[in-house]
Amino acid sequence: MRKLYFIVLAILFFLSFSVLYGQSTEEFFERNCFSCHTIGGGRLTGPDLKNVDQRKDTAWLEKFILNPEVILRGGDPYAAKLLKEARGVRMTRVAGLTSGLVKNLLKFIKEESAKEKTRFAKSALKERPLTPEDIVLGRQFFLGTLPLTNKGPACLGCHSIAGEGFFGGGNLGPDLTSVIGRLGGKTALMAWLSNPSSATMSPIYRKQPLDEEEILPLVAFFKSKSEKNASYMEVHDFNFMIFGFIGLILVLLIFDLLWGKRLRSVREKLVKGELE
Amino acid sequence: MDIRSQISMVFHLDKCIGCHTCSIACKNIWTDRKGTEYMWWNNVETKPGTGFPTKWEDQEKYKGGWELKKGKVVLKSTNKVKTVTNIFHNPNMPTMDDYYEPWEYDYKELFNSKESDDQPTAKPVSMVTGEYIDIKAGPNWDDDLSGSPIYARNDINLENLTPEQKKQMFEIERLVMFYLPRICNHCLNPACVASCPSGALYKRGEDGIVLLDQKRCRAWRACISACPYKKTYYNWSSGKSEKCILCFPRVETGQAPACFHSCVGRIRYLGVLLYDADKIEEIASLPDEKLVEAHRSIILDPFDEKVISEAKRNGIADSTIDAAQKSPVYNFVVKWGLALPPHIEYRTLPMLFYVPPLLPVMSAQDGDTVKNINNEFFPDFEKARVPMKYMANLFSAGNESFIRYTLEKQTAVRAYRRAVTVGDIDMKDAEKALLKADCSKEEAEAIYKSTSLSTFEERFVIPASHREQAIEMYEDPLKLKQETGFGFKDKPKRGL
Repeated sequence: MRKLYFIVLAILFFLSFSVLYGQSTEEFFERNCFSCHTIGGGRLTGPDLKNVDQRKDTAWLEKFILNPEVILRGGDPYAAKLLKEARGVRMTRVAGLTSGLVKNLLKFIKEESAKEKTRFAKSALKERPLTPEDIVLGRQFFLGTLPLTNKGPACLGCHSIAGEGFFGGGNLGPDLTSVIGRLGGKTALMAWLSNPSSATMSPIYRKQPLDEEEILPLVAFFKSKSEKNASYMEVHDFNFMIFGFIGLILVLLIFDLLWGKRLRSVREKLVKGELE
Repeated sequence: MDIRSQISMVFHLDKCIGCHTCSIACKNIWTDRKGTEYMWWNNVETKPGTGFPTKWEDQEKYKGGWELKKGKVVLKSTNKVKTVTNIFHNPNMPTMDDYYEPWEYDYKELFNSKESDDQPTAKPVSMVTGEYIDIKAGPNWDDDLSGSPIYARNDINLENLTPEQKKQMFEIERLVMFYLPRICNHCLNPACVASCPSGALYKRGEDGIVLLDQKRCRAWRACISACPYKKTYYNWSSGKSEKCILCFPRVETGQAPACFHSCVGRIRYLGVLLYDADKIEEIASLPDEKLVEAHRSIILDPFDEKVISEAKRNGIADSTIDAAQKSPVYNFVVKWGLALPPHIEYRTLPMLFYVPPLLPVMSAQDGDTVKNINNEFFPDFEKARVPMKYMANLFSAGNESFIRYTLEKQTAVRAYRRAVTVGDIDMKDAEKALLKADCSKEEAEAIYKSTSLSTFEERFVIPASHREQAIEMYEDPLKLKQETGFGFKDKPKRGL
């Protein structure tokens, strides 16, 4: 019995290792880095990582990958330059990173950089010209009137965009009106949507990824929005305030209806009644 | 039979001079704390008048007390459903204006004001907001204002009076008033206790004093609407309600409550009554005209052997039974039938009784002198300045026969004593009057003695307390007097 116990424990122990290390570095890169970075394919939202080790020393890179925010806030001039190039989009801290994994990643990037042709040079997504129908379809996906193939949640739940929804969208994620410009163009946005790696989106869309034929319409929709609303102001917050105000008055009216017959001042009426 | 004892009270209105000493005694002991400034556990009202809070007797507005619904006695202000729906807002409460905004005076104005043609005055300052205020009402705003067109004429008890009777009451030469001192009635069927959603109010087992547990009170304020006498008050500072406690720390140590003790007119009597608690619901559900009689019948004869043995079986101490036998309240209420409950139609079965005043003097100003316009000493009550209907509205649910009975008896006793001591009334006439008033000579003597000559010990027959039964007093109640004062032993978790 005791033996069996140890065997089970040992199996569990190795299983846990296999879960941690079973995920290969390549897979990790694809899931977490590829949405913003290529290797030899030019910049997406973030810079091309080909030969990144020649641009900056390994220690800095390791530190930056492990927690970008520390260096970004630390006033490092190179990090500031990177931030400027990325139009202010900050690299997120990737969940589950360990310093061992970072070392592996850098090694992996180095290996891939040396290759003539790597699959991380270009997104596997098919490209085609965007049509006006795509914009209409994209809007439906965004609003959730047309459900997504893999049953992922619609964008509006967490994001707002200019002119959609009376109350605007959710406030959890950023406003998406100018997202295409912010992330660095169509390709970058497509790469992001095919594998969103932010802490909030990644756990949801990893299980229920967006379909290729959904990404393209959404991109078309975002593009048209950003073109139409170059000087966009957030009117939704104002709408919300007005509605809140109307709601308050309504609630007060209901209260007055419910308790309208409550006792109001007796003495005041008594005195006034006699003086009138 | 479920015999219990009740510390009960009689206020002899014929002796009240409206000096407010009782109110001040009470205020100084109990309600001089923050949040209690506006409370008057004891107050003295001028009648006719609207009282404190304004028009408290108008239950159409305040919804206090009980009412009959399908033969069952139910609370007017609330029920199980209403307790839930009104849980955040109790709709029938007096506003601060109906009580009054308590104020202080800024006395430094007397010394610091700039030189001017007028004398400096101490400016009134609100004790709630701390701002200067213009006083528009007070707890006794209509004091002695019997003819006041605003307050006196809106007295609820003027209902059902004929136009002539009303005219008579407000005729300038015959203006009349009397005083009505009020404290908590420590009712047998207390509406405040019944209404409390937290069960904070309770009627003490040993002496029937109604108390409000300051730890349990959650400030729903149901008691404030439910009490028809408006004798529970909300302390806005502590977030708890408070009420008259009949000075139980004094009563337990054999002293009369402060308002009783300080009464200069000696109008107050305190004593034990034994009553049958099994009959409360039955009696509270009777029609209005039967209430006074039934209420009296719930009080048991403390000399009856059966009552005594039942009382003992129910755990009532010998000292309490002894006190009940000496109780002046029993004499006034049951034996002599002189004292009547206030507004019995609210069905709370109040245990404070009033002897209605005679108000016999009838004189009118004649030039520079005052002329007696009635030659008889004791005129017919039909011609009394206060119509009997008014008194009946106040003390016997509109039934004039009880008022006539008590006034007739009081007058007969006076006539008899006048025949004895002065002699300008024929003894035969006096005896005739006594006979008519259902009163023997012995009874007349007893009433006379109890009314005019009774001592402290005869007026306040307080049973020896049994501390082993008292649950409130684990500490010396006077321990903190002149230090932090009375109030909360522990700071309440709610409130300001």
